[in-house]
Amino acid sequence: MSGQFILVQLFNGLILGSLYVLLALGLCIIFGMLGIINFAHGAIFMVGAYLAYTVTAYLIPNFWVALVCVPIGMALGGALLEVIFLRRLYELPPLYVMLFTFGLMLVLQDLIRMIFGSMGVPFSTPAALAGAVNLGFMHYPTYRLFLIVLTAAVSLGVWLFLTRTKLGGLIRAGTDNPRMVEALGINISRIITLVVALGTGLAGLAGVLAAPIQNVRPLMGMDFLVDCFVVVVIGGMGSLGGSILGGLIVGEIIAVGVMVWPPMANTLIYLFMAAFLLVRPRGLFGREAFHE
Amino acid sequence: MPRSQAYVLGSFIVLAVLFPHVAPYKALASEVLIFALFAMAYDLVLGYGGMLSFGHAAFFGIGAYTTGIILLRVTPSIPLALVGAVVFSSLAALFVGYASIRRHGIYFTMVTLAFAQMFYFIAFKWTGLTGGDDGLQGVPRPDLGPLSLHSETHLYYFILALVAVSMFVIVRVVNSPVGTTLQALRENRDRAMSVGYNVDRFRLIAFVISGCFSGLAGGLYALMLNMVPLGALHWTTSGEVVVMTITGGMGSLFGPVLGAVAIILLRDIISNYTESWSFFMGLIFMGAVFGFRGGIVGLLRSTIARLR
Repeated sequence: MSGQFILVQLFNGLILGSLYVLLALGLCIIFGMLGIINFAHGAIFMVGAYLAYTVTAYLIPNFWVALVCVPIGMALGGALLEVIFLRRLYELPPLYVMLFTFGLMLVLQDLIRMIFGSMGVPFSTPAALAGAVNLGFMHYPTYRLFLIVLTAAVSLGVWLFLTRTKLGGLIRAGTDNPRMVEALGINISRIITLVVALGTGLAGLAGVLAAPIQNVRPLMGMDFLVDCFVVVVIGGMGSLGGSILGGLIVGEIIAVGVMVWPPMANTLIYLFMAAFLLVRPRGLFGREAFHE
Repeated sequence: MPRSQAYVLGSFIVLAVLFPHVAPYKALASEVLIFALFAMAYDLVLGYGGMLSFGHAAFFGIGAYTTGIILLRVTPSIPLALVGAVVFSSLAALFVGYASIRRHGIYFTMVTLAFAQMFYFIAFKWTGLTGGDDGLQGVPRPDLGPLSLHSETHLYYFILALVAVSMFVIVRVVNSPVGTTLQALRENRDRAMSVGYNVDRFRLIAFVISGCFSGLAGGLYALMLNMVPLGALHWTTSGEVVVMTITGGMGSLFGPVLGAVAIILLRDIISNYTESWSFFMGLIFMGAVFGFRGGIVGLLRSTIARLR
């Protein structure tokens, strides 16, 4: 096994990790705010990829337009979803909201299958990002490098937004104690809408970015989502830093697994999670008594 | 037993005996029974233990694969195959339960889901043993002593007998000291702990019993289909049993049974008209959350209360 191959694999792990990070961040903030697992998150990711396909193949053949418009459109969709449906379910046990998102997942997946078929659609790398870059020690596809850099920038942006701005502070306060935030005279329901929109937008962005490198098919988000649960469990519930670090760890574990024993690559992350939980039951940065 | 309960139970038995003769096809009746048992076993964890497991597909699937593999590769004996299903699914439940039971709330849900997915990937990749993506094909249905199970009707009554015995055991478990302790833990964990109950141990017991009967349901599923689809282990199977339990009315044991009956029959009806049944099932789940939150049982109870 050459050093070159190992490096390429580690970079590929970073790619996978980047997608996990984007999805896990959305899962994490929605979870923190509402105390629910969004089972539709993987389907939303998939819809993002299909919207990118629709935009580039039928409307405006420009990847950059899709990259900007699809996440924004998805965020608006997420806001609508919250205002029309989710809002009515908050006084119920979280179980019912999860049941709702489970139904939503089935609906989205089947809807996309009805429109585009179950075989998947072709999606090529945008022309401007085709080819490879010489990094000095190896050649690496430009698009993949772009994906890593963009994800890093977006994660940093989300991080700064949540930790350095007033609105971000309100969101963090809302995840800790929504009633207290409301008692202080802040309209919590608007903040919840914002959080769901942000999470959906990030999942949409991940979908657009994944479209050129993964098979765009109706069930692409289904098992990917469960990997993201592993990310959140390892990172610690409700911790943004944990989602980012966890995402990169899980991506690298799969990359290493592919080098060592390909059939077990996916199983490896679950074994790792099991072992990890024995050592650190709340994950890397999980807080005690947080939605437990 | 109060008279009204005896009437309900009596009509259940009559319906169950007549069911294959009114169902559109016999295998559908068997499928309904299998999922009724699965949902009832699941209710032990969700409704009585207050634990939202999203990993029960693992125990159902392991039961199905164990039965299939024993019948296909080891010995053509149905009792042995089903005992194997129960043993292996209980062991899996012990492993998953032990690793996840100390986690509560959503954490528990995610951890159980992730473990179930691990079994899914093992079955997916270990094609030599499981047939991988194609599923385990050609599971035989050997005779049971003098009884031939090739007839779907015979199989239905065989399944009915096992399901009835299992349900009886589950009801007994719920009414046993273990069951009542479990409900006490669900209602007020802190108080039960201060009385001196070991919370995690009772939760683990419930989890393993639930996994054991889920595995039996899985084993019967393999017999019914003459194969094991890989989908039995997929996490959407866990989602389905959760949905059945909630739509039926969790924490009532017979509610989940009704939920399973309703959902399996509904899916069969919808799939007669359209290929995209999962779209409509999804819509129904979304609507159910807004519609009847006490489940079918809650709906029945309030209707009966209104009639009185």
